[in-house]
Amino acid sequence: MVNPPKLEQYQYDMERCIHCGGCRWVDHIYTPGVRFGVKCPSIARFEFDEYAAYGREEIGLALLKGELDYSPRFIDAVFQCQLCGACDAGCKRNLDLEPLLTLETLRARCVADGQGPLPAHKKVADNIAKTHNRYGSPHKNRPQWLADDIKPAAKADMLYFVGCASSYTATSLAQATARILQASGAEFMLLGGEECCGYPLYATGQVDAFIKQMERNLEALKKSGASTVIVNCAECYKTWRVDYPKVLGKSTADMGFTVMHIVEYVDQQLKDGKIKFKNPVEMKLTYHDSCNLGRLSEPSIYWEGTRGKYGCLEPSKEYRRGTYGIYQPPRDILAAIPGVELVEMYRHHENTWCCGAGGGVRDANKDFALWTAQDRLEEAQDVGAEAIVSACPYCKENFSEAIKNGKEKLKAYDIVELIAQAMKVRGGKR
Amino acid sequence: MSIAREAYRALESIVGPEHISEDPVTCRAYRTKSYRRETAYETICMAPECVVMPKTTDEVQRIVKVCNRYKVPYTPTSTYWYATSSPKKPNELMIDLKRMNKLEINDKHMYAIVESGVVYGQLQQEALDRGLYTMVSGGGSQVSVICNHINQGWSPLNYRTGLIGRRTLGIEWVLPDGEILRLGSLALNEDDYSWGEGIGPDLRGILRGASGWMGAMGIVTRLATKLIPFQPERLEPTGISPDTTLMLPQNRIRWYNFNLPNRESLERAMYELGWHEIAAAATKVPVLWRYIARAKSKEDFWRLWSQVTPEEIASTHILRILVVGYTSEEQLDYEERVLMDIMERLGGEFRRTKPSDESWIKNADSAGMWWMTGGYVSIEYVIETIQHGVKQGVAIADLKKKFVPPLVNDFGDPGWFQAVELGHGDYSEFLTYWDPDDKEYYKADQMYLETMKLNIDKGFYSSFLNAQPIWLTGPAFGPNYHLWQIRVKKAFDSDNLSNPPGLECYDEIVERSDHLTRDWEKGSMEEVV
Ligand SMILES: Cc1cc2nc3c(=O)[nH]c(=O)nc-3n(C[C@H](O)[C@H](O)[C@H](O)COP(=O)(O)OP(=O)(O)OC[C@H]3O[C@@H](n4cnc5c(N)ncnc54)[C@H](O)[C@@H]3O)c2cc1C
Ligand code: SF4
Ligand code: SF4
Repeated sequence: MVNPPKLEQYQYDMERCIHCGGCRWVDHIYTPGVRFGVKCPSIARFEFDEYAAYGREEIGLALLKGELDYSPRFIDAVFQCQLCGACDAGCKRNLDLEPLLTLETLRARCVADGQGPLPAHKKVADNIAKTHNRYGSPHKNRPQWLADDIKPAAKADMLYFVGCASSYTATSLAQATARILQASGAEFMLLGGEECCGYPLYATGQVDAFIKQMERNLEALKKSGASTVIVNCAECYKTWRVDYPKVLGKSTADMGFTVMHIVEYVDQQLKDGKIKFKNPVEMKLTYHDSCNLGRLSEPSIYWEGTRGKYGCLEPSKEYRRGTYGIYQPPRDILAAIPGVELVEMYRHHENTWCCGAGGGVRDANKDFALWTAQDRLEEAQDVGAEAIVSACPYCKENFSEAIKNGKEKLKAYDIVELIAQAMKVRGGKR
Repeated sequence: MSIAREAYRALESIVGPEHISEDPVTCRAYRTKSYRRETAYETICMAPECVVMPKTTDEVQRIVKVCNRYKVPYTPTSTYWYATSSPKKPNELMIDLKRMNKLEINDKHMYAIVESGVVYGQLQQEALDRGLYTMVSGGGSQVSVICNHINQGWSPLNYRTGLIGRRTLGIEWVLPDGEILRLGSLALNEDDYSWGEGIGPDLRGILRGASGWMGAMGIVTRLATKLIPFQPERLEPTGISPDTTLMLPQNRIRWYNFNLPNRESLERAMYELGWHEIAAAATKVPVLWRYIARAKSKEDFWRLWSQVTPEEIASTHILRILVVGYTSEEQLDYEERVLMDIMERLGGEFRRTKPSDESWIKNADSAGMWWMTGGYVSIEYVIETIQHGVKQGVAIADLKKKFVPPLVNDFGDPGWFQAVELGHGDYSEFLTYWDPDDKEYYKADQMYLETMKLNIDKGFYSSFLNAQPIWLTGPAFGPNYHLWQIRVKKAFDSDNLSNPPGLECYDEIVERSDHLTRDWEKGSMEEVV
C-alpha cells in the first residue's frame, strides 16, 4: 500500500515556522564568517525570501488556505531548490518541524494540480518511462559499462545497483566500484534489466511515476533474492533507503533488505583488515558531503499519531535531523590512503553546501546548478585543497563541469576512483 | 492594491529589475511570522505590497527619498526575528537589507564595521579568530548585528563588555527623510569609525535610547562596534546537529553553577562578584529554561516539567557564572579562588556544568526556547539595578498567577536576571509561554498590558517603552517622556513613513484588539507638535 506524504500533513509545520533563518545560515557553531556563512543555495542565489525554506513554507501555506494562486513566480520558487535538506537540518537543530518534507510535498502538490512538472523534468520522466534511464539512452546499453575483468555472480546476497549515471555517463565509477568489491572478495550480483531508481521523479514531484518505478525495482529485488543493495550513488542510496519506505508508509527497518553505500562497505572492510591501501595518492583533498549520503540518508522512520496541547505528538515522533548521516566512513577511508592530506571545508557534515545538481535543478536550470558548484569550488580552494572528492557521480559531474567553465585549478574525483587507486585495482584514476 | 507606478519605476531604476518585486508570491513570502503567535501584535502584521533589496547606502538613501516623494510607507528588515519588521499598514514597501552584508574588522583599533545583513555568529567568529570578542544577543547568533545594536543588545556578557550603547562607535544613518547623518568620528572623516560620541550632543541617544525605534527612525546602513580582547585559546566547534557546541578551553574559560540558599543570597552574590571585579558573566536563568535545555523533544519537556513542584522552584536559586582568564591562566585561578570564597560564605552549593558554550558566547539561539509551547513573549525587560530586577520579577510573577492558565505555570519563578557592568546594573527579563491554539490565548496580551500598569503602580522602570502604548506609559515615566518622543519623531519623519504606526504602534494594537481595553487618556500626536 502506497501512502505518500501530502502537503496538508505539514500545515502545522508551515504555520509554526517563525522566519528565524536557522534554515539559511550555517550552524553558528561552525560558521566561518560572512563568506561561506549561508548553507541554502537557493536563497543565496535568488535572494528574495520565496527562495528560502521559510518563504516557501509561507507560500505553501497560502496555497493551502486558498489565499494565493499558482503563477510562474510560484512555480519558479518551488522548483529553484535542490531539495538538499540544509534547511531541514538547520531548522531541526532547535525545532521539531519538517521543512524538507513540506518542500517535497509542495512540489508534488504542484504536479498533482497540473502545474508541473517543469518541461525538463517531464522530459526526464518520459526518458525513464521509455528507456528506463534518465538520459533516454537505449536500455540495452545499460550493462555496457561491464568490462571483461568484472564478473558478477548470477546470484548473490549482495546486489550492486549501478544507477543511471554510473551505467551510462560515468562508467569508470561503476567499474571501480565493481573492482573494489571483487578485490575485497565480495560476491555480488546485478539486477538484470536494471532501471532508474526513480530519484529524478520523486525529487521533481512526479510521485505517481515514482511509485511505478519503485514498485518495479522492489519487485525486481524481490525476485533476485538479494538482501543487501549496494550502491555508489548518493541519490540511489537515499531513494532506496529513505524514499521507498517513506512513500510506502513504512520504516526503513521494515523493508526487509539493507541498503549500503560503497563507502560504508569499504570502511568496514578497512577496519576489519580485509582491504589494504598500498598505493599512495599524494594529494591535498577535501571531502564534499553529498546531501543524499550525508544529512538526508538517515533511515525513514514511519510515524502516525495525533497532535495535542502545545503541539505535542502522541506518540512522540523521532525526527530525522541529519545527525546520523554517513559522514565518518568516507573521511576515515580518505585518511587511511597513504599520501592523502585531508582538509575540511567550512560547510561540512549536516551543514554541507549542495554540489548544485540535486532536486532536478541540473536538468531544469543548469546555470543555477553550476553557480552552486562554483561556490563550493571556491570554498575548496579557500581551504587550500587540490581536489574535491565526493561519493556521488552527480556531484562529480557537476563539479567537473564547473571546473571546466571556471578558473579553479581544482580536480574533482569520486571516492571510488581514489579507493581503487589506493587498492591498486584497475579503474583507479588520477 | 499596489504602490504608485511612478514610485515603482523610480525604485526599479535604483536597484534594477532583478532586485525589486511586487509579485504576490514575493510579498506573501515576506509576511513575517514570529514566535509571538496569535498575540494582538502578530495579528496586525501584513504582507508588503512591494519588496526592494538595496546593496549600498546610496541605494538605500535614494529609495527612502523616493518613499518620501511619493509618500510610500516603508519598513526595513534585516533578519526578521521581530514582528515589528512586518508592515502594519496597507501599501507598504519592504526594504530588505540582506544584500548589505559587508563586514570589515579594524584589527589595530579593535572594532568591526558591519552592514545590516551581517549576523552575530559571523561577527563573533571573525572576532574570535583575532583573539577578540563581542557579545551575542541572547535571541540568537542569526540576528542582525545592526538591528540588535540599535534596538536591544542584552547578553550576560554585558557584565564585562558593558552595555551595547557604549560599544557602538561610528554610525551611518539614513534618516527617515533620506538625508544621511554620520555619527561620532564619521562626522569628521567618512572613513573613520573609531569613536561614537559627538560631534556635539551624542545622537546615539536619539537613535536608540534605552531600546530603539524598531525601524521607525530610518535605516542604519553601517555601524561600528567595539571588539574586546578575549583570551588566546581556540574554542573548538564540536558535534553534529542538534548537539553542536564550542568546547571551552578549560585553562582559560570555565562555567560554574551554584545553587544559593535563597533569592537574597543570590542577589548578594551578584553584587559581590562585581565588588571583587571577577567573572565574565553572572546570570540567573529561569528554571523552565533548564528543563528546556535538558529535554530531548517537546514531549520529553512536558513529561519532565509536569513533575516540577512549586517547592522545587522556590528552592532553586541557581547562579551561573562564567570566568575567563583574559590575561592569563593565573587570572582564571585567582578569580576561581575568590568565587569559591564568596560562595562558601553565602552557602552556594556547587553544581556540575558542561565545559562548553551552551549559550551566549557564540551558541546563542533562542528559537527553541518558545518551542515547547508554540507561543512566547517577553512581557518585560529592564536595565536597572540588581535589586530592582529581583523585586520587579517577584511582583510580575505574582501578577502572572491571574493568567495561569492559559499561560504556562512556572510557579512564581521571577524570570531571568543578570548583573551587567560588574554589578553596577542589572538586566532582567520576564517571559511568558502559552499554547497559541488555546482559546484564551489573548490572556498573554492582557498580562502584557497589566504589567505596564503594575510598573506604573509600583514605580518599576521598563526598557520596553518602544513596545508599549505611549499614552499609557509615557506620562507615567515622564511626565512628558512621550511628548518628547513624538516631537523627535515628527522632527525626523513628519509624514510617519518609517515603519508606521511607529510610536503609536501599541496604541493601535490596543484599539484593534477585541480583547484589550483602553482605560487611559489618549492624546493626539498632531496636537503635540
Ligand atoms: C525569542 C527571542 C529572544 C530574544 N532574546 C534576546 C536577548 O536575549 N538579547 C537581545 O539583545 N535580544 C534578544 N532578542 C531580540 C533579537 O536579538 C532581535 O530581534 C534582534 O536584536 C534584531 O534582529 P531582528 O532579526 O529582530 O531584526 P529585524 O526583524 O530585521 O528588525 C528589527 C526591527 O528593526 C528594524 N530594522 C531592521 N533593519 C534596520 C536597519 N538597518 N536600520 C533601522 N531599523 C532596522 C525593523 O523594521 C524592525 O522593526 C530576542 C528575540 C527573540 C525573538
Ligand atoms: S524553516 Fe525552521 S529554521 Fe527556517 S525560518 Fe522556519 S522555523 Fe526557522
Ligand atoms: S532544500 Fe536546500 S536549496 Fe531548498 S530551501 Fe532547503 S536549503 Fe535551500
